[in-house]
Amino acid sequence: MSATTIDRPVAEKTPLTFGGVVRGEWVKLRSVRSSGLTVLGAALMMLVTGLVFASTVGSDSDGADGVTDPTGITLSGVMFAQLVTGVLGVLVVSNEYATGMIRSTLTAVPSRLPVLLGKVAVVVGTLFPTMLAVSFTVFLAGQAVMGGAKLPTAAVGDPGVLAALVGSAATMTGVAVIGVALGALLRSTAGAISTLVVLVFLLPGLGGLLLPASWRDDALKYLPSSASEAFTSVVPAPGLLGPSAGAAVFAAWVVVPLLLAAVLLRRRDA
Amino acid sequence: MIEVENLTKRYGPKTAVDGLSFTVRPGVVTGFLGPNGAGKSTTLRLLVGLDAPTSGGTKVNGKPYRRHRAPLREIGVLLEARAVHPGRSARDHLLAVGATHGIGAKRVDEVLDVVGLTEVARRRVGKFSLGMGQRLGIGVALLGDPRAVVLDEPVNGLDPDGIKWIRHLLRDLAAEGRTVFVSSHLMSEMALTADHLVVVGRGKLVADVPVADLIASTRRGVRVRTPRTSDLVAVLQGDGVEITSLGGGVVDVIGLSTEDIGTRALVAGIPLFELTPQRASLEEAYTELTRDAVEYRGTSERVAA
Repeated sequence: MSATTIDRPVAEKTPLTFGGVVRGEWVKLRSVRSSGLTVLGAALMMLVTGLVFASTVGSDSDGADGVTDPTGITLSGVMFAQLVTGVLGVLVVSNEYATGMIRSTLTAVPSRLPVLLGKVAVVVGTLFPTMLAVSFTVFLAGQAVMGGAKLPTAAVGDPGVLAALVGSAATMTGVAVIGVALGALLRSTAGAISTLVVLVFLLPGLGGLLLPASWRDDALKYLPSSASEAFTSVVPAPGLLGPSAGAAVFAAWVVVPLLLAAVLLRRRDA
Repeated sequence: MIEVENLTKRYGPKTAVDGLSFTVRPGVVTGFLGPNGAGKSTTLRLLVGLDAPTSGGTKVNGKPYRRHRAPLREIGVLLEARAVHPGRSARDHLLAVGATHGIGAKRVDEVLDVVGLTEVARRRVGKFSLGMGQRLGIGVALLGDPRAVVLDEPVNGLDPDGIKWIRHLLRDLAAEGRTVFVSSHLMSEMALTADHLVVVGRGKLVADVPVADLIASTRRGVRVRTPRTSDLVAVLQGDGVEITSLGGGVVDVIGLSTEDIGTRALVAGIPLFELTPQRASLEEAYTELTRDAVEYRGTSERVAA
């Protein structure tokens, strides 16, 4: 441990690059325990919910007639899993503010915007493939369960099924990106998670109770959860937007907070 | 080279940095000295762009920090506030920061060795002592092999060995021609390491001087003990002479040499029991400089440095 060893020059004086920022964000994501736990939690939520629904669906009085959307039954875990992926998105940013790590991060990357984009990149890069694999797994396993119970089933090749699978993974990933944006906007884990829960979980129910009936349905279909339902349902519920309109509205829910977060990240003192 | 030009930062109604201008040159250790709350940490945050200045600006090696292609290779910074996720290992922390600049495991391990953390490199930072955390922060500052190193209160939490190590490190870095800028609220610490001092108080520049000049400029006096103080005072009084009675037959005389005082006392037949030249310590020089600039004063009149 001699101070004189530090003058040994680094082999090549590599500059700051966006690729480097993404690698740095990846190191950060993989090196804290909460990341792995939330991804695992989201996957389990999908698998358990999907399989429980698949094995109980035929047991009520309706029997086989109650199964109108076998794909939707196996993917019903999205509703809960998106909250868990959203929490991962929040933590990726809010953890840095809670621990002071943000000062190290922004000192290394003073232009700041690459940090936000890098975080989005690793969150999307981690969650989309994982949740896509999980969606396929629970779909196939769920169809097998329902097939074994002599209930109607769906196959990946059936109309709309592939879109539902990819759309589910995109929904869970998209909510995680909303989480990143909320984390950056609010800088607080509790605040961002609460906002996320209200937005994707409570507003649809609360809105149904509190809004005047005359424009309730018109408003509710624009919420992120209804918008994503519009492009992930093989048999859509009545009153939803069309699939492309739903996708566009959901994308806006992801992009607009992210843009706001980007502007404020540049402007505010760290 | 670090240049601070007319830098001002207000947080709401509070002015943390107030029209500060100074230059930190390479090759020497420059101390950044001031009482707590004088604006040192704010200045350093502004330097690396964590906060935006209200007016004025800073340059690192000729450019604003943000405009460098490889900021971590221009300046390495240890900030006072903790900046590490406690759940991450020291090595992963360095890898994450280094990755942004393409700095890999080889350099990370080298730095871990320099700061003496190799053995605990894979342990969670949350389990680190204050001193180990400080060493990790210094490791981050050295990671990019930067041309300038800025450390905010680096000796905080270090044990005596660590403090000695820091002093050597700072001297070596300066000897290699780097710009070394170290903040402290302790004059005693700076007296041992720094060649040059930038002193601030209440966000304003108080002094920008070589340490040697500061010592030379401090007023020296002579302490005299005699049973006949009033007679002595009568003999010594004159232009440019300042006499303070400390009671108990002791007076401090400024403006006359020991030879002068002794001779005049002898001529007047006044016995002297003590005649001691008083050399103001650097600590006292600093206290004097910042007397009007101390933000938080204790209830007793004497200000803790």
